[in-house]
Amino acid sequence: MRIFLKVWRQATPRDRGGFVDYTAENISPDMSFLEMLDVVNESLIVKGQDPIAFDSDCREGICGTCGFLVGGVPHGPDPGTSVCQLHMRRFKDDDRLVLEPWRARAFPVLKDLVVDRSAFDRIIQAGGYTSVNVGGAQDANLILVAKTASDKAMDSAACIGCGACVAACKNASAALFTSAKVAHLAFLPQGQPERATRVVAMVERHDAEGFGSCSNEGECEAVCPKEIPITNIAHMNREYLRAMLVTRD
Amino acid sequence: MPSRFRRVLSSSVGTKLLMGLTGAALFVYMLLHLAGNALILAGEDVFNEYSHMLISNPLILPIELGLLAVFLLHVYKAVTMWMSNRAARPVGYLKKELAGHTSRKSLSSSTMIGSGLFILGFVVIHVKQFKFGTFYQVTDSTVRDLYQTEIEVFQNPFWVTVYVLATLLVGLHLRHGFASAFQSLGLDHPLYTRRLTALGVLFALLIGVGLAVIPVWVYFRY
Repeated sequence: MRIFLKVWRQATPRDRGGFVDYTAENISPDMSFLEMLDVVNESLIVKGQDPIAFDSDCREGICGTCGFLVGGVPHGPDPGTSVCQLHMRRFKDDDRLVLEPWRARAFPVLKDLVVDRSAFDRIIQAGGYTSVNVGGAQDANLILVAKTASDKAMDSAACIGCGACVAACKNASAALFTSAKVAHLAFLPQGQPERATRVVAMVERHDAEGFGSCSNEGECEAVCPKEIPITNIAHMNREYLRAMLVTRD
Repeated sequence: MPSRFRRVLSSSVGTKLLMGLTGAALFVYMLLHLAGNALILAGEDVFNEYSHMLISNPLILPIELGLLAVFLLHVYKAVTMWMSNRAARPVGYLKKELAGHTSRKSLSSSTMIGSGLFILGFVVIHVKQFKFGTFYQVTDSTVRDLYQTEIEVFQNPFWVTVYVLATLLVGLHLRHGFASAFQSLGLDHPLYTRRLTALGVLFALLIGVGLAVIPVWVYFRY
């Protein structure tokens, strides 16, 4: 296969950056998208040029490290798929693809397709954990959790924090990420002690990082590699209302 | 106002809650407004009687002021939110496609600020033309002949066009706004969320087309 790429190149965070055209030759349809970029990078290295920087780690679609826009869609055209699990057989010979980094004020570009997603870490640091000391490990099944609750909590906890939701949202909102992290704890007994302070602190951090607000369009849900639904956002809003009107701490 | 309350309402989620609440209130108003205005189809006497009943009610002033406050809050929050949302992405994309799949993005959802600002401008003209418009009196009575005012305005094809456009934009605004308000208020359930979206389309058509019919009807009748 041969693919024509238009890739965002930016040497440093302060560099202006711009698009550069590359041709990926001799690509096997069985390669993943990142393997195709590896091939391009090898040819760049041989020519003595700087390879295209992109994030990746597990390449199994479970770690949330990789991600950029392929042809105008975060993680590319396949639903429920991170870019490392996108395969070249999805494309046709001589396709032209634009590769761009996530764009958001809260996600500054570090280099090429790599952005700084530490804003997500700071949202978690604001409250996405439990800090109550509960002593030693309890006997199994001592705290009963309904199957439905544990399933729902797991569905929300499946968020890998890749940032595609922010990239897809016209407002660069991180509402889907934040809500998934609020919801997975809100479903479980372990999340109850700090339930109200958690949601308020995480939403405040979300806003302070410069993310926008949710317009309920669901573009985030459609590109999410873990298919986290925006029902989480409604849940977060409920939690927020509850924290505001009911809780006294 | 306690500072916690203010802090909460100025956050991104609190802003959406306010947008949802004020939007829902304005939606209820639009339903009543449509029902009331549709009385013009029932003829001169019924319509003037209805409008007289409204303006002669001592509660009308506080209700109008409340409605104005809700409207202005909706507009203020929408504009400030739109500006901060734009600031959240200072550098745009070269190529951005619709995500498709489960996305609910529509013409309606991507034009909320545009349709909203048009409606804002329209409401100013509309209130000036009717509430503060030419005052006719029904012969031998103190009742205002609003029917006459309405006929006068809608003799002009320019105003008919503006009103049809504006009311259709209200419908477009509601197409996204109705279901979106429930989501913003956290009212979401597998049992009814999809039905609410369908209901939103229905209400958008009812209010948008329903209100657009009135000026067209008056224009062709007189």
